[in-house]
Amino acid sequence: MLKLLKNLIKEPMFVIGVFLFLTTVFAGLLGPSLYTPQPRSEFGYEAPLAPRGIEVDLSKNTITHWVVHRGDTLYAKETIKKDSLGNMLNNTALAKYWIGTDNLGQDYVALLLRGLQNSLYVGLLAGVIATTIGTLVGLFAGFKGGIIDDILNMFTNLFIVIPSFVVLVLVSTSFPQGRSLTLIAVLIGFTTWPWTARSVRAQAASLRGRDHISLARINGASNLQIIFKHILPYLASYVFMVFIMQVASGILSESAISMIGLGPLGEGATSLGVILNTAKNQSAITDGLWWGIFPAAIVITVIVFALYLLNNSMEGVFNPRLRK
Amino acid sequence: MLKKYPTARYVLLRSIWYFLTFLVALALNFFLPRLGSDPVDIMMAQGSYSSPEIRKQTEENLRKNFGLVVVDEEGNIVRDTVIKIDTVVNIAIDSVVDEQGSIVVDSLGNAIVKESRDTVIKERPEFVARKSSKISQLFNYIGKVFKGDLGTSFENQKPVSEIIMEALPWTIALQLPTILFGWIFGNVLGALAAYRRGVFDRVIFPLALLMSSIPFFVFGMVLVYFFGVVWDFFPAIGGYASGITPDFSWEFLKSAGYHYILPFLSIFLILAGGQAIGMRSMGIYELGTDYIKYAKWLGLKETRVLAYLFRNAMLPQLTGLALSIGTMVGGALITEMIFSYPGLGLTMLKAVQTNNYPVIQGVTLLITSCVLLANFTVDILIALLDPRVKASLTMDSK
Amino acid sequence: MAHILEVKDLSLHYLTRFGQKIHAVTDVSFTMKQGEILGVAGESGCGKSTLVNGLMGLFIPPLYPTSGDVLVNGESLMNRSPKDIRENVLSQKVSMIPQGAFNALNPTRKIKDIAADVIAAHSGNKNINKRQIYDRLRERFDLFGMETEHILNSYPIQLTAGERQRSVIGISTLLNPKVVIADEPTSALDVTTQKVVVKMIFDLLEKNIFSTMIFITHELPLLRHVSHNIGIMYAGEFVEYGTTVQVVHDPRHPYTRALMGAMLSADSEQKNRKPTTIEGAPPSLAKKIEGCRFAERCPSARPECRLKTQGLRMVGERLVRCDYAE
Repeated sequence: MLKLLKNLIKEPMFVIGVFLFLTTVFAGLLGPSLYTPQPRSEFGYEAPLAPRGIEVDLSKNTITHWVVHRGDTLYAKETIKKDSLGNMLNNTALAKYWIGTDNLGQDYVALLLRGLQNSLYVGLLAGVIATTIGTLVGLFAGFKGGIIDDILNMFTNLFIVIPSFVVLVLVSTSFPQGRSLTLIAVLIGFTTWPWTARSVRAQAASLRGRDHISLARINGASNLQIIFKHILPYLASYVFMVFIMQVASGILSESAISMIGLGPLGEGATSLGVILNTAKNQSAITDGLWWGIFPAAIVITVIVFALYLLNNSMEGVFNPRLRK
Repeated sequence: MLKKYPTARYVLLRSIWYFLTFLVALALNFFLPRLGSDPVDIMMAQGSYSSPEIRKQTEENLRKNFGLVVVDEEGNIVRDTVIKIDTVVNIAIDSVVDEQGSIVVDSLGNAIVKESRDTVIKERPEFVARKSSKISQLFNYIGKVFKGDLGTSFENQKPVSEIIMEALPWTIALQLPTILFGWIFGNVLGALAAYRRGVFDRVIFPLALLMSSIPFFVFGMVLVYFFGVVWDFFPAIGGYASGITPDFSWEFLKSAGYHYILPFLSIFLILAGGQAIGMRSMGIYELGTDYIKYAKWLGLKETRVLAYLFRNAMLPQLTGLALSIGTMVGGALITEMIFSYPGLGLTMLKAVQTNNYPVIQGVTLLITSCVLLANFTVDILIALLDPRVKASLTMDSK
Repeated sequence: MAHILEVKDLSLHYLTRFGQKIHAVTDVSFTMKQGEILGVAGESGCGKSTLVNGLMGLFIPPLYPTSGDVLVNGESLMNRSPKDIRENVLSQKVSMIPQGAFNALNPTRKIKDIAADVIAAHSGNKNINKRQIYDRLRERFDLFGMETEHILNSYPIQLTAGERQRSVIGISTLLNPKVVIADEPTSALDVTTQKVVVKMIFDLLEKNIFSTMIFITHELPLLRHVSHNIGIMYAGEFVEYGTTVQVVHDPRHPYTRALMGAMLSADSEQKNRKPTTIEGAPPSLAKKIEGCRFAERCPSARPECRLKTQGLRMVGERLVRCDYAE
């Protein structure tokens, strides 16, 4: 185990993957509580770092009034005398937004951190559910063989050919109110397990005939004991890799379902997919408001890429033939 | 009976399996939207109605549309007579009259009144639409689907099948070639990366890995933003320029082709990236096998060895395609939404935004059917192309 | 009589990613005449498989020739481009019968198509039509006394282990090669099938379909019945080379003796001898080795063995790489 870890650390892909993933996880976990959002702007889609509000230059005795509308910065300039009003205005510092604001004028950084947190939550919960169900079904099917295998296999195949996307859409439509993050995660978990079941089944079936399993059986170990004591530990690394892929697919599924407008609802339930959906509905792309789209899109891509890197590098270490 | 023809037997068995799967999909398509709240209630809550009669009429039409009520041969709702019991309290206000028949007044000259209450129980027959059971609703739905009746759109009272038929050609024209070519291109690239390794592999592999981890819709947005908005090379949205009517004129085809490029690229490149990754590891695995070594020892031509490699690594990839085609179609539908491409994705998006249940259900059913059909085709193809599978069929039937 | 195959001081090495040279085969020399069978035996990892590639002139990185020469009918295989080797040597001059015939045959191709690929690959620019190729195949496979039509029209999965192995032999000898190298052709076969396969190989040799054969194995007993000469390989070198009678019945090198002890302990002639195992592992070939390579494991090693490099010398009509072989 230690040796595997050592080999993993030597893989640059693994190190990059771990670094990227941990960075996003920490940002998602701590970000929303550490970062104080800028006050809400009265303008939707304010450009990043754009001057806004009223800017007073005392040396020139000017007051500049910046008006921001959907990314275009217009300004009207008028000069007033340096008087008491000027002193007062001087105190209104320029609150600039690092990545601009969304359609409601909210600070995008805060929005993004919250979205990251929520997306990770959905991905991890969905991943845990899907991996658990899939692993149990796959273990039983692969280990038992025979009719139980046939039935479970048919069931698994059924849910593989019926697109999980469709099932997600149908169930989500039946909950027009109160679609919480947890509900979405559970739905995703319950629709994506067949993948895990299928691959775990193949692995478990290949272990069935091994000597140590037969030995355990002769020694009178129960089926459950064999499955959990003798088969599962052999598949642990495999199941972990499957889990990583399930988390990635959970995050992708959530953003996909949110893109159609069937994602989580409500205050604070903003996920990365919901951010993208809002931006799309506000035609942010076609209006050239890139900050409304790209930060969230990049964050999703980075998480998924990090998870793929992890999976790929682990596959390389566990299956040496792929290396070099 | 079919033992002599294992392939035909296999095709038959697969057809039966897929038909049963289709029935399950139909049942899911019917029951899943009814898991939460009643769709009719949701839709009723959206509209405003000028009178209770119109409201009732609309609601009944909806219920009929959804197959929630029993309908006779002429399509009229079967009603049950329900005896409603109304309690009516009659209050009579009368002036107090003295023995002489004159009205009694108080000191101010106002008539003194008395109330008399009188409770009457009235029985009133009402004709209530008969609710059908869930099972008969399901059979009714399945029957309708097989007749091609997918209900009527809630929005403009158009038949759902008509709405879908307008969008379907666009989706097929976009997705079929994209998935097919993306698959082939990705696999050729992956096989080359596995065979050549070296610089070729070092460039292609990380690039493909990055491509495959970009979600379809993200890449679509990037393309729209840069090529459609910033540089304005291609139209950002739509399936053809506004102001042109879809027909087979040169002008329309040119415009459609122009609009086709960005959505095509956004699905094609991501798909090819994913396939290249899979094919590369399959190819490396196959390269280490004895039959490839033997082929090299025999001095076979390099192209021939590559053909061996490609064909044998392609077969598991084909199985992979069968498994992931549902996910691909889902991703491609979202790409359609990004590009406002007039296909099923956009139809579904609009339907979701207006809670247009019949349309959502129709679209999901059609997607499922297409995915099942694609899976079935791939299953049969594998059996025909892979002698190992073929041989196992013969053994099974023995 | 002219030599069909002449191997002169052949040395081969692998180049690792870090520029390190691993000398997998060192100074191997032998000659073969028409109709001869040479057995090469040794533990796994002794350089047998590397030698095979060298004998075919097939140098795929990281394998490189260090020195020496391989001549087939007087024609050298060294310093030739991979394309030249592929087109003019493989299958025609030197051919290979690999181990494990099941995996050696492309599972998605019929036997006749694999065989046709071989003919097509070596017909130069001539266009031969399929019909001619199949006729040629039928003619050749009829020699084997098998159900020719059944075998040619089957996929590997549809054939028995014996049929597959014979198909492989048929394909490898299709172009009448001068030298055939067989790498454990009978392992993983049951005894009856083994006999059929060995008989087939002899038949082909008798019918002059190929001229000489190198039989590579780690099972010495098999070589006794098959080969004329035997070379014993250890750590990339021939430690003993002589006729079968000499090597099997009167081994002189301590390693050959140990091999005999390890492998023939169940044999009737050796029943009274204690089974011996060879302790330890062969030396790493990445460094230059001083002294005898077997010294570390040799039961009769003397102090000077570790210092003095042993050369091959004639001891009673066979070559032995040990100074104390008498």
